Amino acid sequence: MRPEIEKIQQMMESADYVTDPAIATSVHLAMTLKKPLLIEGHAGVGKTEIAKVMSRMLHANLIRLQCYEGLDAAQALYEWNYPKQLLHIKLEESTTHSLREKEATIFSEPFLIRRPLLQAISQDGKPPVLLIDEVDRADEEFEAFLLEVLSEFQVTIPEIGTLKATHPPYVILTSNRVRELSDALRRRCLYLWVDFPGFDKEVRIVMRKVPGVNEALARQISRFMESLRSIRLAKVPGVAETLDWAQALASLHADHIDEELVLETLGCVLKDADDVKRFKRELTSSGLKRFVAAEG
Amino acid sequence: MARSRDLTTAVLRFGHMLRAAGMPLTIGEMMDGVRALDAVDLLDRQDVYLALRTTLVARYEEFPIFDRCFETFWRFQAEEGQELEGLTGPGTPAIPEEHAGDSGAEAAQKKVSVALEGWEEQGDDDGEPLEVPGVSEKEILMDQDFSSFPVEDLDEVARLTILIAKRLARRISRRKRPTRRGGVIDMRRSMRANLMKGEIIELRRRERRRRKVRLVLLCDVSGSMDLYSRFLLQFLYALQNVFGRVETFTFSTRLTRVTEHLKGASYRTALARLTEVRDFSGGTRIGESLQEFNARWGSLVDRHTIVLLLSDGWDTGEPDILANEMLTIKRKAGRLIWLNPLLGNPSYEPLTRGMAAALPLVDHFAAAHNLASLRDLAGHLNLR
Repeated sequence: MRPEIEKIQQMMESADYVTDPAIATSVHLAMTLKKPLLIEGHAGVGKTEIAKVMSRMLHANLIRLQCYEGLDAAQALYEWNYPKQLLHIKLEESTTHSLREKEATIFSEPFLIRRPLLQAISQDGKPPVLLIDEVDRADEEFEAFLLEVLSEFQVTIPEIGTLKATHPPYVILTSNRVRELSDALRRRCLYLWVDFPGFDKEVRIVMRKVPGVNEALARQISRFMESLRSIRLAKVPGVAETLDWAQALASLHADHIDEELVLETLGCVLKDADDVKRFKRELTSSGLKRFVAAEG
Repeated sequence: MARSRDLTTAVLRFGHMLRAAGMPLTIGEMMDGVRALDAVDLLDRQDVYLALRTTLVARYEEFPIFDRCFETFWRFQAEEGQELEGLTGPGTPAIPEEHAGDSGAEAAQKKVSVALEGWEEQGDDDGEPLEVPGVSEKEILMDQDFSSFPVEDLDEVARLTILIAKRLARRISRRKRPTRRGGVIDMRRSMRANLMKGEIIELRRRERRRRKVRLVLLCDVSGSMDLYSRFLLQFLYALQNVFGRVETFTFSTRLTRVTEHLKGASYRTALARLTEVRDFSGGTRIGESLQEFNARWGSLVDRHTIVLLLSDGWDTGEPDILANEMLTIKRKAGRLIWLNPLLGNPSYEPLTRGMAAALPLVDHFAAAHNLASLRDLAGHLNLR
C-alpha cells in the first residue's frame, strides 16, 4: 500500500473514523485526482460521515448541501436578497443617485445570498469539503445543473460576472439509491460502495466510539447485529443503530447480552413494528443463541 | 515517460475488456484510471484493484463484471511474468469465459432491441402507422381481447400498442394546464419589472413548477394475467418519457422488482422473461405482495405518484391484509388505479372477496384488456 494511502487511513482513524483500504484509497484518489466522489450504500453505514471526517482531518470547512425534491438553483447556488434590496431602494429614495448607480448598488455582493454551491466555489484559502448529501432525492433537472457546476467550478451571475473557484472544493456526493442517478453523473465521479461493516470492523467501531464497552461485549454486539442483518427486515439496522444500542448497554452497565436485556433495549436497533414482531418470533423459536453464538 | 505510455496502453486494454463485457466506460474514466495508477503502489495488487475500481466502476451492479475481468487481467499479466510494470505485455487477454459464453445470447438480444427501436422511429415519423392493417381491420383489433389473438398475431398487436402509445405521448406532453390564479410570486421578475417605479406596484407571478407524474406498476403475472401485464408494460414503457419515472414490480405469490431489467434497449427481451420469475406453485397472494411492496419500497409512493395495479383479483391470501395494504397505498399515493382485464367481459361482476375488499379504495377501475381500453387509460394518467 502506498504510504500516502496508509497515512490517510491513519488520519481518518485519528479523526475517529474506523476505515478500511477501500475507503482510504477512494479518499486518496478523490484528493489526488481532484474528482467528485460518489458514495453509495445502505442507510446508516456512515456515508455522510466520510465527508465530515475529511473536513476534520484536513482542517477544512465543511459545506453541506442537503438535497430534497424540488431543490433548485436558487436554493443551491445563489439568490438576491430581495427584502434588503427593497428596503435599500426605499431608503435611497431622497438621494440624487442616478438609476444606474442605484442598480449597481443593489446588485452588488452585500445583497447576494450565497447558497452552498456558491460558497464552495468562492471560498478563499484552503479548499473546502463540499458534501452534496442524498443527491438521489433531488430531481433529474437539478442533477443536470449540478453536473455543469461540478465540471467547471465556475458560476456566472449576470449582474456581477463570472466567479471561478481558486481552490476547487473536494466534492463528496452521497446517495441512498431512492432514485437511479444518471449515467452522466455517475461516470463523471469516482465511485465508492460502502457495505455494512464486517464483524471485525464493527467490533473496532464499537470499541472506538463507545468507551464503556469491553471487548467481549463489543464482540457479542457485533455478532448479534451480523445475524440480525441476515434475517429479512423492512429496516435493516446500520452502524448508527449498533452505536445507539452499544451506548444504551454501556449506560446500563451491561457486560454481556441476555434475552431480557435485548428485549428491553430492542428499540435502539429495530425501528419497525413488523420487524420487532418478526424478531420476537425468531427469538422464541430458536432462542438468543442463534444471534450471539456461532463465534469461533 | 515510456512507463506512463505503457500504463496508458494497459488501462485502455483493460477498459476495452470491460466495455466488451458490458460496462459503458468513457474515455475520461480510462484517463482517470491511468492517473489513479500513478497515485498508488503498482506492485500491490489491492492498490491497483481499488484504484481501477474507484475510477472505472460507476454503480454497485458493475462490481461482479469488474471483479471477473480484473481477475483475468491480473492473472494474464502475472503469467507473462511481468507483474505490473508489465501491464505492458503484448496482446489482449481474452474476455473471461463466462462472458464469452453469453455473447451469442447477447447478440440475439441486440437484434431484438434494434427491431424495437425501428418501430419507435416509425411511429414518430409518418404519423399514419395506425393504418397499417387497414382501417376496418384496425377497428377490429382495437376492440379484440388480447387473450383471443392467435399467438402469431401477438407481435403485430404489440407493435400497434407501441405506436398508439407514441401518439398519445405527444398529445399528453402538449397538454397545458392554465396557471392557477395566484401562483408563486416571482420576486426576481417583480423587482426587474418595477425598478423604474421605485416601489413594487405590479407583482409578477410564476406557475409553480409542475412535477412530472411518476408511475408505480404492480403487475400480476400469475396464470392468465401474464399476457395482459405484458401489453400494459409495453404500452406504458412506450409512454415513459411523459412520466418522471416508472417503477415496475411483478407478483404472483411474491413480489419482484423488475425496473432495472426493463431499463435500456433490451427491455423487450426482459419482458419476455418476466414469466421466469413466476412461481408455479399456484395462487396469487396480492395482499402479501402489496405488504412486501409497502415494507420495502413504500418510499417510492408519494402524492405525485400514480399506482397502477393489474390483477384479476383472485387472491388466495387474506382479504383483510389486501384491504389493509391497499389503504396504506391509497393514503400516500396521488391516485390508485386497479386494472382488471376480466372487466372487459360484460357478464363479469367483481365479486371475489379480494376485489370486494379493495374496490372502495380505488380511484379508478378499468379493464385494460384490449387496445381501445389501453388508449382510454392514458386519459386517467394524471393527477387532477
